[in-house]
Amino acid sequence: MSLDRVGEIIERYKGERGGTVAILQDIQEEYHYLPKEALAQVAAELGLPLSQILRVATFYKAFSLKPRGKYLINVCLGTACHVRGGERNLEKLQRDLGIQAGETTGDHRFTLEKVYCLGGCALGPLVVIGGKYYSKMNPLKLEAVLKEYALGHV
Amino acid sequence: MRIGSLEDLQEAKKKGLKGLYPEVTKISVGLATCGLATGAREVYKALAQEVERQGLEAAMARTGCLGLCQKEPLVDVLMPGKPRVLYAEMTPAKATELVAELAQGRFRGDLALAKMVREEYVLEDRWHAYPLDGEAPELEAVPFYQDLPFYARQRKIVLRNCGFIDPEDIEQYIARGGYFPLYKALTEMKPEEVIEVITKSGLRGRGGAGFPTGVKWRATRQAKGETKYVICNADEGDPGAYMDRSILEGDPHSVIEGMIIGAYAIGAREGYVYVRNEYPLAIKSLAHALAQAEEYGLLGRDIVGSGFDLSIKISRGAGAFVCGEETALIASIEGRPGEPRPRPPYPAEVGLWGQPTNINNVKTWVNVPAIIARGPDWFAGIGTAKSKGTMVFSLVGKINNTGLAEVPMGVPLKQLVFDIGGGVPQGKAFKAVQTGGPSGGCIPASLLDLQVDYEQLTQAGSIMGSGGMVVMDEDTCMVDVAKFFLTFTKDESCGKCTPCREGTKRMLEILTDIAEGRGEEGHIALLEELASAVKDTSLCALGGTAPNPVLTTLRYFRDEYEQHIRYKRCPAMVCKKIIFAPCKYNCPVKTDVPAFIAHIARGKYREAFEVIRAVNPFPIACGYICHHPCEDRCRSLETGGEALSIKGLKRFAGDHALRAGIKPLARPRMPGRERVAVVGSGPAGLAAAYDLANLGYEITVFEAGPIMGGNLAWAIPEFRLPRRIMEAEIESIKRAGVKIQTNTTVGRDLTLDDLFARGYKAILLAVGAHKSLKLNIPGEGTAGVMEALEFLKMVKLGKAVPLGERVAVIGGGNAAIDAARTALRVGGGKVSILYRRTKAEMPAMKREIEAGVEEGVEIRELVSPTRILSRDGRLASLECVSMELGEFDETGRRRPMPIPYSEFIMPLDSVIVAVGEEPDLSFLPRDHGLGISRRNTIIVDPETLATGRPGIFAAGDAVTGPSTIADSIASGKLAAVSIHKHLRGQPVVREYTVTGPSPYVEPIERTEEEIELVRYRMPCAPVEERVGNFNVVELGYSEEMALKEARRCLRCDLR
Repeated sequence: MSLDRVGEIIERYKGERGGTVAILQDIQEEYHYLPKEALAQVAAELGLPLSQILRVATFYKAFSLKPRGKYLINVCLGTACHVRGGERNLEKLQRDLGIQAGETTGDHRFTLEKVYCLGGCALGPLVVIGGKYYSKMNPLKLEAVLKEYALGHV
Repeated sequence: MRIGSLEDLQEAKKKGLKGLYPEVTKISVGLATCGLATGAREVYKALAQEVERQGLEAAMARTGCLGLCQKEPLVDVLMPGKPRVLYAEMTPAKATELVAELAQGRFRGDLALAKMVREEYVLEDRWHAYPLDGEAPELEAVPFYQDLPFYARQRKIVLRNCGFIDPEDIEQYIARGGYFPLYKALTEMKPEEVIEVITKSGLRGRGGAGFPTGVKWRATRQAKGETKYVICNADEGDPGAYMDRSILEGDPHSVIEGMIIGAYAIGAREGYVYVRNEYPLAIKSLAHALAQAEEYGLLGRDIVGSGFDLSIKISRGAGAFVCGEETALIASIEGRPGEPRPRPPYPAEVGLWGQPTNINNVKTWVNVPAIIARGPDWFAGIGTAKSKGTMVFSLVGKINNTGLAEVPMGVPLKQLVFDIGGGVPQGKAFKAVQTGGPSGGCIPASLLDLQVDYEQLTQAGSIMGSGGMVVMDEDTCMVDVAKFFLTFTKDESCGKCTPCREGTKRMLEILTDIAEGRGEEGHIALLEELASAVKDTSLCALGGTAPNPVLTTLRYFRDEYEQHIRYKRCPAMVCKKIIFAPCKYNCPVKTDVPAFIAHIARGKYREAFEVIRAVNPFPIACGYICHHPCEDRCRSLETGGEALSIKGLKRFAGDHALRAGIKPLARPRMPGRERVAVVGSGPAGLAAAYDLANLGYEITVFEAGPIMGGNLAWAIPEFRLPRRIMEAEIESIKRAGVKIQTNTTVGRDLTLDDLFARGYKAILLAVGAHKSLKLNIPGEGTAGVMEALEFLKMVKLGKAVPLGERVAVIGGGNAAIDAARTALRVGGGKVSILYRRTKAEMPAMKREIEAGVEEGVEIRELVSPTRILSRDGRLASLECVSMELGEFDETGRRRPMPIPYSEFIMPLDSVIVAVGEEPDLSFLPRDHGLGISRRNTIIVDPETLATGRPGIFAAGDAVTGPSTIADSIASGKLAAVSIHKHLRGQPVVREYTVTGPSPYVEPIERTEEEIELVRYRMPCAPVEERVGNFNVVELGYSEEMALKEARRCLRCDLR
């Protein structure tokens, strides 16, 4: 994997105070995770110890130090989704994908994450797959959606 | 263009108004996140395509969220000279139809949700009026927007523009009065005057804590620093609240304008909007608006030519709830981990990069332009004494109209939930509303009159918070809710201070123990102690308020905690370690429903049957007549489908076993195990006998009558449960080693003491409830009036019962329906059931009532007999009175009351009385030494079924009065456990355990077509073939149907 873009991203925030979080966010957006080498580069270019960069990278939940799958699945477990049975969506996905929350499937297609509230509370339980919002989800509907992905329709 | 004068602003307004009200038809689609999640983008595309295809001269537009998220995608259509019309729940298909009508110059009135004839311009204190619908007769029946219950009580200040403007068009914002307040503040007011106005208005922080905004601004203004900052806190982390997102997506300029005015008042030169990462659309919308404001000279250098400079940047959160806390938020903007620090000093003095900083929530900023425009007195005139203005609430969870509602402070909670929110879906009972997110609490139904403002919510143990209102119904478990929030706060605790980091974790451990059935006495006290420690000693508000959900649920729902701890029950059926799967949990004998269904789905019918029989000595009979509470809470009901026919599948497995001749293995008696006598051979007695025999005891069942099986054998009609089924069941029970002695009446042929004398070490009384209750009306002894059980018994034994032409059955239970259907079959010409309440309240099984009606039974509701009239010593007619339903009684049903002077006479040939039964305890000798209740039942310890006499137990209907086969079996099984303990010298106490997991059965693969929502109907004999015979009505599933029905199971047992 090429890390050419890392330098460019750091450049964007040159001279700005407190750009660390933003830089890591842009790197994460580019590579879907924070490659070790990229973090080292950030530390070197900002003149900060790597430990300080790592502390930020591990504090915030949006960052991942492990590569993620092609599709990020966010299962909302906010209060509104929870009382409407959002948990069962997570169970269903864990079972059908054979991974736990926070893990990525062996074929690197899916990464499963649970999230507390995506702000779609009125239409819960919410599941977001690859940026597409699915409202009022339940295990049966999920089964159908996953089949679409399995068949390559999506 | 750059706005440097009032004229420029007026110019922009003119252009904006053209965008708002173009000369052609305008079709706006709500494209905020809620819309997108329900397919608004597809609707937009379809509309645009149709407009193009049909050659309609129309402008397509995007807008934000109108608040009624439940009804997304929302589309609104503005035709010049007509009212504005709102369409809800649009689909691409409906879009095509709509455009076709619009092309004809007409609306689709039938698809419309509401019509709008006026729209408020809050900042300008005026209404924009649309023409009435005289020009559009097709809209006559469409309700007015302001009459919709959801909107009728709302007052929009903060959400003034959402859904009315294109958020990407700054001129439309200006057209509705935007940036005029900014112009006024920057050119006509001194900073101190602005602060004075805000202070006078009484505006308080909308982030939840409610700190007076003017006071905060003044403190920041007065603080010394090289530079100053303003920050907008849009880190809307409270799960259940999403109004900030909606505002940023639908009206970003209102936030920016508020911030600029605030910055001017405070003396800040730089600003930040800290938005959470989970809101990609809001970030995009805000970034666009910031660039646009700069382009128009409303942001950046020399704003509106006033000489005031301000730049605003976006800082994106990265997924940390604690960053909503102001000092943590500042740390995060500075590029550090978002950990809070102790206050004071407050950010007003030492904030971002050590400089004085003013942080306000999105909604606080949005209020500012309105207050500047309309004046402080206007704002202070709305709301309650201490809480001014309005509050935006997100109504979510178990509520019909989910969405964003803005109401004046002080509105009663009841109004929010029931009038605006439309109440709880599916007729379920309201249980609580959770406000304030993880820092808030649960407010119970008893406090529904509470007037929602900062003070009242705090008094109830909750907080205003960011305005999330999560409604919970009877299916929500409050222990689970508390556990949910503690899971959240434990995950989100930044870990800096010990009380929060460790305390939330320990509290969660205890809650998890309770929710998983490991709760102990003392846990509640421990929770309370920990809660107060965490509350008092945490560094920031995250820890300081984290115990609130626990404390309020303990305060208002302590009983639910106790149910979990003592009885390992979760009344709402949520805690999965306790209930395992709802079907199994709800089964009185805890049948492993998911396992047996999974076996059927795999074609393993014998295995399925063995799973059923493992806990149930009547595995075949239950498939015919069980009242199947397992189906009541089948998860399939929650995924938009029908419950599985668990009873139908059980019947299939049982019939298979019968055909295949599957019999249980004979169990030899275990040496040293005692003799036990069981009195009565109904389901309770035989269930106990079967279990005790399997434990190695020598069991003798004494049956007073000639046939075995109790009610099952002689009261349930042949067309529901054929005798051969019961014969097979009893054969199997005998194989287990149970001896049954018929025609032996204990009490007459043998006394209880005789039994002990003969070496029986324990006695179980399971004599049922066979004595019919009386009507207690004159003439009851007349010939032609009979008891239902006696009638059913005679018919089942093959005796002739002459009924005559006209028969009335009195009662509403299963015995009444059975008697009526039997009467039809033995020659009753016209059979009527008289019931004093309504059909909906009949305790009989729904399916049986339907079957009776199909066969021709007439059901007369709200009728009660008053007198039996005879001629020549025989029944001639029945005098009845009409009833009406009055107040609710202690059973939660409305009490039937006779209507005065409504008596009428029914000429009849027979009356069958089925108004209930009680145990016939006349067999007991005078000195039996047992306690007998007023309802003539045997008094036992309900936990163990032990009577007052050592060694004597009682079970089934003799203890409870008439119940169901499943409950009787469960009662018998409990008695067996107690008798076993008694005989083994162990303390006879009941141990409550959670419902355990079922044995694992591998799930089947389903294709998409196999995902079916509707159950397979049980095939029944055609009505015309049922007349005059007692053939079984329900024919049972074919193998193909059973396989398909079983494949519908959602497998709740799998984790």
